[in-house]
Amino acid sequence: MPFKFRLEILAIIAVFAFCILFLYTSSIMTNAEFAGSDTLGSEQIAEMTGKAEEDFQPLIWQWAPPSGEIESGLFALQAAIGGILVGWVFGYWKGQKKRTP
Amino acid sequence: MHIMEGFLPLYWAVIWWIVALPCLIFGIYQLKKVLEADREALPLLGVTGGFIFILSSLKLPSVTGSCSHPTGTGLSAVCFGPWITSVVCAIVLLFQALFLAHGGLSVLGANIVSMGIIGPLAGYIVYRSLRDTRVNMYLTVFLACALADLFTYVTTSLELALAYPAEVGGIVSSFVLFMGIFAVTQIPLAIVEGVVLALVFKYIVSLKPDILLRLKVFPEEKIRVARSEA
Repeated sequence: MPFKFRLEILAIIAVFAFCILFLYTSSIMTNAEFAGSDTLGSEQIAEMTGKAEEDFQPLIWQWAPPSGEIESGLFALQAAIGGILVGWVFGYWKGQKKRTP
Repeated sequence: MHIMEGFLPLYWAVIWWIVALPCLIFGIYQLKKVLEADREALPLLGVTGGFIFILSSLKLPSVTGSCSHPTGTGLSAVCFGPWITSVVCAIVLLFQALFLAHGGLSVLGANIVSMGIIGPLAGYIVYRSLRDTRVNMYLTVFLACALADLFTYVTTSLELALAYPAEVGGIVSSFVLFMGIFAVTQIPLAIVEGVVLALVFKYIVSLKPDILLRLKVFPEEKIRVARSEA
């Protein structure tokens, strides 16, 4: 008889392991900035082409969030949209299941 | 993470758009067909799409001292295949290009190819080759999701390497360089994403197994065994 909650346990272990790994790396890598990998990728391109990063202008005009706060707010909005969708559907299914046992 | 606006020469931006568009159009056609055949597929699309929205907004730190985000596309690839997934991804990427300055309109094609097409396709191939074997259903979902995530960044590396071959060693050496930035960062994230999405799949199986059966996501036998265990 397989244990009922083994996937839940596994998920918790994975998330915890991830956190511990992060605490470990951030404590030994004192110069780590935890910048986005796309920022690092762009720096790499600038280095390879010998052009300054500022010289890479958008090909199509682009609105950029004026500050990090606004950016993180919009990211939270994106996650909220996803969360609402997921919660709504799981609730819908749960209700359906109750009606038709 | 995506390629940033302006960092892909026009020539390559156009090429990736040309690759992405037929896949998107086929995805829209497929999506229409699936929804016409079964309205109950719409909530499932909502859940799998919702996880793409959530996971691709989470920037997580990784062992390389930089941050990246998971993609969440594996679940959708398993349930609906890579083409429909590319349509959902295009919506998410458009949101990020318009409002967050992550990616952009000219590089959107390239980002759709990596996150919406090649990544999910890799996950889908893994899932299809394991679906009718004796391999555990959740292990299959885990592998599909983790690889869909990882291959997204392998593709991003390849796209950048093709556009910016190194002076010494050409495309191969710059591919290795970009892999070090994108794909290595992604490995722990891909593993966690795979486990979490496998858990989500368990809840879908326990709440709405009939839709998975109708879409022929997994054989009846496997779903029945999984349900009797839960």
